[in-house]
Amino acid sequence: MNAFRVRQWFGVIVAMAMLAVPLVVTDRYVLKVLTFVGVNAIVVVGLALLFGFAGQVSLGHAAFFGVGAYASAFLTGTLGVPWLGAVALAVVLACVVGWAVAVPSLRLKGHYLAMATLGFNEIMSVVFVEARAVTGGNDGLGNIPFPSIGPLELRSPTALCVLVWAVALAVALAARNITLSRPGRAMRALHATEPGALAVGIDVAAVKVRVFALSAGLAGLAGALYAHAVGFISPSSFGLDFSILLMAAVVLGGRESLLGPLAAMTAFTLLPYSGALLPGIPRAVAETIQDWVPDLVGLTVVLTLIVRARGASLRFATRKQAEAGEDS
Amino acid sequence: MSMSSADVLQFVASGLQNGAIYALMALGFTLVFASTGIINFAQGEFFMLGGMLAAAGMAAGVPLGVSVLAAVAATTLVGCLVERLALRPARSAGGLALVIITIGCSMLIKSGARHLFGPDERALPAFTAGEPLSVGGALIEPQAVWVLVLALAAAVGLTVLYRWTKMGLAMRACSISHDAARIVGVDTARVVMLSFGLAGALGALAGAVVAPITQTAYDVGARMGLKGFAAALLGGLGDPVGAIVGGFVLGLLESGAVAVVSGTYKDAVALVVLLVVLVLRPQGILGRHLGEKL
Repeated sequence: MNAFRVRQWFGVIVAMAMLAVPLVVTDRYVLKVLTFVGVNAIVVVGLALLFGFAGQVSLGHAAFFGVGAYASAFLTGTLGVPWLGAVALAVVLACVVGWAVAVPSLRLKGHYLAMATLGFNEIMSVVFVEARAVTGGNDGLGNIPFPSIGPLELRSPTALCVLVWAVALAVALAARNITLSRPGRAMRALHATEPGALAVGIDVAAVKVRVFALSAGLAGLAGALYAHAVGFISPSSFGLDFSILLMAAVVLGGRESLLGPLAAMTAFTLLPYSGALLPGIPRAVAETIQDWVPDLVGLTVVLTLIVRARGASLRFATRKQAEAGEDS
Repeated sequence: MSMSSADVLQFVASGLQNGAIYALMALGFTLVFASTGIINFAQGEFFMLGGMLAAAGMAAGVPLGVSVLAAVAATTLVGCLVERLALRPARSAGGLALVIITIGCSMLIKSGARHLFGPDERALPAFTAGEPLSVGGALIEPQAVWVLVLALAAAVGLTVLYRWTKMGLAMRACSISHDAARIVGVDTARVVMLSFGLAGALGALAGAVVAPITQTAYDVGARMGLKGFAAALLGGLGDPVGAIVGGFVLGLLESGAVAVVSGTYKDAVALVVLLVVLVLRPQGILGRHLGEKL
């Protein structure tokens, strides 16, 4: 069995083990936290494609997440659209909004794109509060129906968690296939050098818009799942802080990696709930951890980038050696 | 829709008051951009610190004037520390990595303020008590006069520093080329740190002087940062005069939008300005060319 097969089997086993976790865990609260892990995994995979692979930063992903959540909640709760259709429409809407943000932002690079998407997130925060007819304003939107397909309704925390994790797994696998195929190579090429990517015939503008729309759509999908899993949403879940947390996970997880951002986002998601997840931990310690999560995230971002800047030349050299060794 | 001349004047006055604040913020962005070529996402947090530190000083019994000056001084120091501790060690990474470091710093500053001062809104008393002045039927709070006067003083002081001092000359040299500045003996690292310190002072001044009107809280930074950046971009990033013009233009545009449409989406004006300028005229309304920097 060659290395590729071994890795494939390893992946399948890990996936099975992950899907088994919600079946073993019985605590409702822990299941809820694990559901959040799955939801956040979907968003961060999308952002990893956009930021980690294509090199296009976004500080607006919490807003796309919110668009998906409100759209699906409104479609099912108020308009009575069936769940599956509502989720599909929510994803399409998030994609379209992402596309609309991406097209004018195409001309922007790096920090300008960051500021434009940050602005988009701030505006959407205002919209989520002010568009009361759809969003319920600051009071939020409650009584969101559970996911259901025909007569089958998923109500139990276990079922919801399995659903979210199954979708997350499918998204992660699809994303991995994208990164290994032609569009993935195009994304990496434009990240490395835009003129170079243009020179080898990559339609840089089209790749950027597509990956932005895809990434926004995945955030919308996660938002829709989140809304139906928790049954209540309010504007505070879709603020800039969440966008920055996602960006931090991709920074920490590393360039051109899906597993890195996934691991980092999982850690960031679990940290605030350490009190519930680690039975032995004193309450005061758990509360302190929860209180200091933003500091920890901010510090992680700063230190990661400093360490990488200082170690870049060294790491580059060792990687070259490793690649040379693999080829021979 | 009919509007009396007093109404128009009222909107202009509020536009000028907000515009002065945006101008100070835009100057902060522009100084850092001129010396480093990056956008400092922590600029909004400098604004927040100015108001919160001054309010905390007052709460501790320190006189208002001393509180405000100490808040500006402390934020200047924070600005220098951001450069020295977080950005300088990663300088070789360049561009986007440095920008993301400022985002990390902004998280740290915001969260630090929450630990120190709590999550509640804070108020600061007006710098001078007194009845609103009536100008042509429009009512103008004395604090609005403070905002305009202090913004003007800061702009004049900065112009003097930039145009006629050796440090200002060094700053202008750095904005053209770091390498060339270093060759002629400019300590570029010091200039960059100073520009962050000044950005801190300008942000804090804006935050402290407007706090009596708007109140303040640990999380007001991001939105104000966005507006200050939009103003800086409008006037042409890296151009101090443009920053001031951009600030007032944005303030008046917002006021106009409130008068004509509604106050609900007032905050959207800055984003629309930001996107329109970025897409149509990235060098700003006064700027000449910026081509390679975008």
